[in-house]
Amino acid sequence: MSLATFVQSILNGLAAGWIYILVALGLTLVFGIMNIVQFAHGEIYMLGAYCSYFLIKFYGFSFWIALPLSAFLVGLVGIILERFFFRPFRGRFEPSIIVAVGLMLLLQTIAVVGFGTDTKSMGGIVPGVLKVSGVTLSWDRLIAILVGIILVAALFLLIKKTKTGQAMVAISQDIYAASLQGIDVNRISAFAMVVGCALAAIAGSLMGSIFSTSPFMGTSAITKGIAVIILGGLGSITGAVVGGLILGLIDGLVPLLLSSTMAGIVGFGVIIIVLILRPRGLFGHE
Amino acid sequence: MNKATQFVKPVSYPVLILVLFLIPLFTKDAYLLHILIMTEINIILASSLRAIATTGQMSLAHAGFMAIGAYTSALLVMKLGLSFWVALPLGGIASAVIALLVGYPFVRVKRVYFAMLTLFLGAVIRLIIMEWRNLTRGSSGLLNIPPPNSLNFFGLYNIVFDSKVPYYYLILVLMLITLLFLYRIDSSRVGRTLLAIQQDDSVAESIGINVTNFKVIAWCVGCFFAGIVGAFYAHFIKTLTPDSFGVLQAIYVIVYMVVGGRRRFYGAILGAFILTLLPEFFRILKEYQPFVFVGILLIITFFLPGGLADLPKLGASLVRRLKGPSVTHA
Repeated sequence: MSLATFVQSILNGLAAGWIYILVALGLTLVFGIMNIVQFAHGEIYMLGAYCSYFLIKFYGFSFWIALPLSAFLVGLVGIILERFFFRPFRGRFEPSIIVAVGLMLLLQTIAVVGFGTDTKSMGGIVPGVLKVSGVTLSWDRLIAILVGIILVAALFLLIKKTKTGQAMVAISQDIYAASLQGIDVNRISAFAMVVGCALAAIAGSLMGSIFSTSPFMGTSAITKGIAVIILGGLGSITGAVVGGLILGLIDGLVPLLLSSTMAGIVGFGVIIIVLILRPRGLFGHE
Repeated sequence: MNKATQFVKPVSYPVLILVLFLIPLFTKDAYLLHILIMTEINIILASSLRAIATTGQMSLAHAGFMAIGAYTSALLVMKLGLSFWVALPLGGIASAVIALLVGYPFVRVKRVYFAMLTLFLGAVIRLIIMEWRNLTRGSSGLLNIPPPNSLNFFGLYNIVFDSKVPYYYLILVLMLITLLFLYRIDSSRVGRTLLAIQQDDSVAESIGINVTNFKVIAWCVGCFFAGIVGAFYAHFIKTLTPDSFGVLQAIYVIVYMVVGGRRRFYGAILGAFILTLLPEFFRILKEYQPFVFVGILLIITFFLPGGLADLPKLGASLVRRLKGPSVTHA
């Protein structure tokens, strides 16, 4: 194994990691505010990827316009989902899982019927590679890392510095006390859902540009997203970032020594052990 | 309760079971029998999952434990030449043993976290099957799994597994044994204990119930039956790939149970029955068919919070409302 492949694998791992983080942040926001494990989040990610694909291939937008536009459109979908599907089941584990699973199958079927089961490629964001002293780094992955870092920083500021962000923190700590303080729980829930869906759409678009889109791409994304937030601790943003990077690096580096299936086994194995030793995850607290 | 229900209740079950036994006499249609066999498989899965869920734990590893049973049984028959009738219970035991091994550390983790733990366990089981290529042939799958050995009853009657009919009877018997066993647990002292744990495990602990042990037992029993069903499935479908036991399959089992109604024993049975059978009538819709499943799912979650098992109650209250307020409550 040369140094070049090692560096490349780390980069691939980081790119995957930041995409997992973007998916996981939406999940963790929705869980923190609404106490719902949003199993259909992977399908939101898939919708985002298709949205970008169609904007680029059929309407001729450049990737940099398609990305925010897709986030905006999928964010609107988030409003509808929150209002009609999740609001009635806020905080109720079983029915909310069933609704999420229903949505997951619904969106998957819509994608199969509407877009076909074949994989579609929207083309890379910036073609070509960056060569630094014998190490080839693809621009797509560098951009994915950059976009991930910027968005996470923006979300962090949103939560720490704005009133809406602080309202989200208050609700995740105690929904009843927060509503007594005059916080509109429904409005904040919708907001969290929109932000979560927009982040998932961006993650899906990035993944779609690195690889390709398929109606079933959400299934692996949701498993990774859940893995990240459980590893980091439900409801914790720092936890999601750390968890995402750990999982991304496992996915990038383990295949060098063993195989990509082993990367999955190691990744999930690590989480199972962490969860048994620290049932609230690395950064979670009750 | 009125006289009619008093009469119907004890008679309905034997009649229902008799009808199930008579079905193959009226139809030998392979497709119909296949669907019925799948329905019975799902009933066992959903009911055994309910045994775990009665302690307040939701398992997303049920497809994984089905896979353990399936691969154990298939490999014992194919590699060691064991008889199916020995391999089938061993498949269940293998699942139960693995469940026992992870059980004690797992049940310390509560609620959503337990569900997620089992989600990852299911994923790991599937990935190990994919990775262990020289034993399981990985994602290319085990092919040509032999059917169960023919059964000979004292030279009088020989059952050969060459059509769907003997499979139908086998799974029917397995289902009845499973349901009887689970029902006996449910309506016993142990069942009440499990219910107490579900409602509040710290209170249960405080009155001297060993919560951990009961949770592990329920978890192992549930996984045992998943393994048994998996073993049957392997020799019935005759092809095993790790993809048959993904997260989605595990979620389906939960859907059957919750949509049927978890609080009542027959809820899981009803849910698996309706959700497996009903979408089959809409095969004509082709790729739009999943919409039927999703439709049933959403309608029930929104309008029947207690699941399908609440339908009789809903019907009764409707009748009462139609009759008007003059009805006295005796």
